Amino acid sequence: MQTAAAPANAPRALADDLVAQARAGSEAAFAEIVREHQSMVFGLAYHFLQSWSQAEELAQEVFVALYQNLARIESPRHLVFWLRRVTSNRCIDWVRSPRYRREVPMNDAHEPGAMPRWRDPMLDALLRRLVAELPPQPRMVVTLRFQEDLDLAEIAAIIDLPLNTVKSHLRRSLDALRRKLAQRGHIHES
Amino acid sequence: MNLEHELRQALKRRTPSSGFDERVLGRIASGATVPVPAPQTRWTRLALPVAASLAFALAGSYYVSQHERQQELAQAEQAARDVVLALQIASEKVSAVQVKVQEISHHERQVEY
Repeated sequence: MQTAAAPANAPRALADDLVAQARAGSEAAFAEIVREHQSMVFGLAYHFLQSWSQAEELAQEVFVALYQNLARIESPRHLVFWLRRVTSNRCIDWVRSPRYRREVPMNDAHEPGAMPRWRDPMLDALLRRLVAELPPQPRMVVTLRFQEDLDLAEIAAIIDLPLNTVKSHLRRSLDALRRKLAQRGHIHES
Repeated sequence: MNLEHELRQALKRRTPSSGFDERVLGRIASGATVPVPAPQTRWTRLALPVAASLAFALAGSYYVSQHERQQELAQAEQAARDVVLALQIASEKVSAVQVKVQEISHHERQVEY
């Protein structure tokens, strides 16, 4: 792997150039791609697995797989689609594998001060825990929908499910979440 | 509560621990590779179980026909053994009759002198 270092004050490369440079073997370009997309990949894994260490492991694997498959990446848009798809598939496979360890979710000690003051951290933690209780495919539908703000057709393409199945997963998941929140007194069911 | 709004807040993107990019590069530099499964489409997900079912059905019908053939063979062998046994019994009876006839003949010859 080439180790061409980017000058400190160089303007940020256009996304297309970045992918092309990474394909050509530029370590700096690939590192920039990792930094640009790490929050998306890690976030999906973390919200799905509810484990910081397992999310880190999975996210690293996704980027190693990206490095092995750079030749297949056609454009920056394709890159994002590829990362979401591979991350989603690996998350679902992970919880079905012996590597999965269901952990007691910790408080958000990894990002002290990241929470806006007006947010209720208990509610956020509860919502994440309830989402993590959903079956794998509905869980990924919900995570993609609300972390990435994707429409249902995009989600269907990423996880390769019929659109109606994705709609059904989302509707039933939200119903289940409302029901569980109502049981805990957080909302009133109508 | 606007549940969808709350979910968007609760499920915001998360930044991994500092140095994540370096750890990825380090893993690549050490030669680590990860298996990349072939992308599965709805069709490949369906094709494999259908192919497996067909193979199972074919193997099953082959096994059944083989089993039937073996049963027929066993029945034929048993029938042959039955025939041999019947012949043996018949042969023994014939021998017994011959011995009796000889005894009678010998006795009659003795009486004549």
